[in-house]
Amino acid sequence: MVSPEMQQLAKERAARMQAALNLKEPDRVPFGGLGGDVIAGYAGISAYEYEFDLEKNRQAALKWLKDFPADSPTGGLGGLDNLTMSVAFVDFPDLANQFFMVNGPMNDALNMKFARFPGRQLDEYSSRQFIGGSNMSADEYDALIADPVKFSYETILPRIAGNLAELGSPASLAAMARLGIVKAQQAAEMRKTGAALAELGYPQGGGGMTFAFAPLDYIGDHLRDLPNVVLDIRKYPDKVKAATEAILEVLLSFSLQGKAVGATTAMFPLHLNEYLSPKLYREFYWPTLKDYILRLADEGMKSRLFCEGWHDPHLDTFLELPVGWGTAAFEKTDVRVAKKVLHGHTCISGGLETGVIISGTPAKIDEYVKRLLGDMMPGGGFILGADVGNLPRNTPIENVAAVYEAVEKYGKY
Amino acid sequence: MRDQLLKSFVDMEELEAVRIAKELVETDGGPVAVLETCKAAMEEVGRLFEAGEYFLSELIAAGDIFNQIMTFTLPKLQQGDVSSIGTMVLGTVQGDVHNIGKDIFKVMAEASGIKVIDIGIDVPHEKFVEAIKEHQPDIVGMCCLITLGVDSMKQTVEVIKEAGLRDGIKIIIGGGRVSEAVMEHVGADAWADDAARGVRLSKELLG
Repeated sequence: MVSPEMQQLAKERAARMQAALNLKEPDRVPFGGLGGDVIAGYAGISAYEYEFDLEKNRQAALKWLKDFPADSPTGGLGGLDNLTMSVAFVDFPDLANQFFMVNGPMNDALNMKFARFPGRQLDEYSSRQFIGGSNMSADEYDALIADPVKFSYETILPRIAGNLAELGSPASLAAMARLGIVKAQQAAEMRKTGAALAELGYPQGGGGMTFAFAPLDYIGDHLRDLPNVVLDIRKYPDKVKAATEAILEVLLSFSLQGKAVGATTAMFPLHLNEYLSPKLYREFYWPTLKDYILRLADEGMKSRLFCEGWHDPHLDTFLELPVGWGTAAFEKTDVRVAKKVLHGHTCISGGLETGVIISGTPAKIDEYVKRLLGDMMPGGGFILGADVGNLPRNTPIENVAAVYEAVEKYGKY
Repeated sequence: MRDQLLKSFVDMEELEAVRIAKELVETDGGPVAVLETCKAAMEEVGRLFEAGEYFLSELIAAGDIFNQIMTFTLPKLQQGDVSSIGTMVLGTVQGDVHNIGKDIFKVMAEASGIKVIDIGIDVPHEKFVEAIKEHQPDIVGMCCLITLGVDSMKQTVEVIKEAGLRDGIKIIIGGGRVSEAVMEHVGADAWADDAARGVRLSKELLG
């Protein structure tokens, strides 16, 4: 039974995030927390144990969240982007949402070629990594455009999943059965984690988040590989455009399946944004992304875009969206620059440079956060967070603590 | 014809650039002219990138044009036609298995006249030391994409120091997660989070 105090704390945390999303000033700057490999390091376990031992994973995440409380929880199972499977199984809403990330135990069943896990293909102390790959040739665009779901299932899945190489074979059926067993185990663990998070005063339902992807990123990350898609844009512009339009419809129905089970926000991890000039971005990337965001908004959902790398040349495109459409989280784009363009229109998130937290001192970090909050808090609409969500395992803990202390010290409105 | 090649290359007109290069390479002194023009074009593309006019997609496209032209130009060059301004040992550090950034940088560095010894991804610290001993480079380039790479770079620099090899070389770090603060933490001489800047600073380090 969750205590009234913790229920109250969960309400305060949710309200703080909501106020920023609504471009208002909350009681204190909302803070998304820090996390990543450091969570396993702090618990004294290897990355391998954190990835594969569900109980150790849960205990490590809870220890971290108890000692470093934020307004939304970080840590837990997580995984690598496995969108091809969600697209391939999009006609099965109870499954598509279960498949969009692949973690270590799931990958033991599937053997995905784009995935590298600690204690398997990597050292026990390494981070899990997505390495992409070229899984489709340029002359297959027509098949992709004609039916993205069929193409993803029949052509791509057997190429990327070592254990699904022959669809319908005993080996592939065994892989899917094993995947089901793993997912059931993980769901049971996640229920336990959810209950424990409630006792720590975290809002329920993972903050109501589902995932969404810019259609061109599906081609770049899962089908053609990044360098190839960038060249395809020049060599086969019409086919690339037609493919993004076909993929949009599939991805949109995937994200709306999340809405059906309570999600209120769709999280987009943007990838190719940094690669493209404003001209190419506006022609090949933004039109379907914009349409996606607008159609989610029509369904009452907000979007949260994680803008990987430099997003500076594309900032003004957000202004084509309605006020309060959602949140833009930044990695390398200075949030102060973003604020100049987007204040009063778009909630901004980010600001904490990982390099500073890894290499600084508590005193320097205190000063850094003070300045950052001084610039970003006025007027509201700002969520403090890390540039990337992965602090290395041996990040100095005193530096982590310095961030959380500075938020309490300087974060009150 | 050199001017046309330069212009079409820099303007990303792939088919036109390759067509002109094929014609030029067959003329007297053509192979050297093609090589020099393509190197100049790559330098201009790098300059446009740093000026904010070009983006990563243009660097990748330029690398693609350069490689296409080199496949039929390099076999026609004589020994001595290709000079190098220095040698670099290049690798993605231990624990990180990403290669896209490293490969974009490599093409641009080679086009600028740097001889690049690519020792791959997830390179153990000791392998950097062995490669330095074997190839006697002027510069060592370390790449990482993920945050784990920051400490891996620091450890690699320490192992190079312990081997007594640090003083003779310059070290540049590159990749998505590096910055001035990371460079100081790692103990490197320069940092770059894009290939164009990386090549420019590498050339500066070469003096």
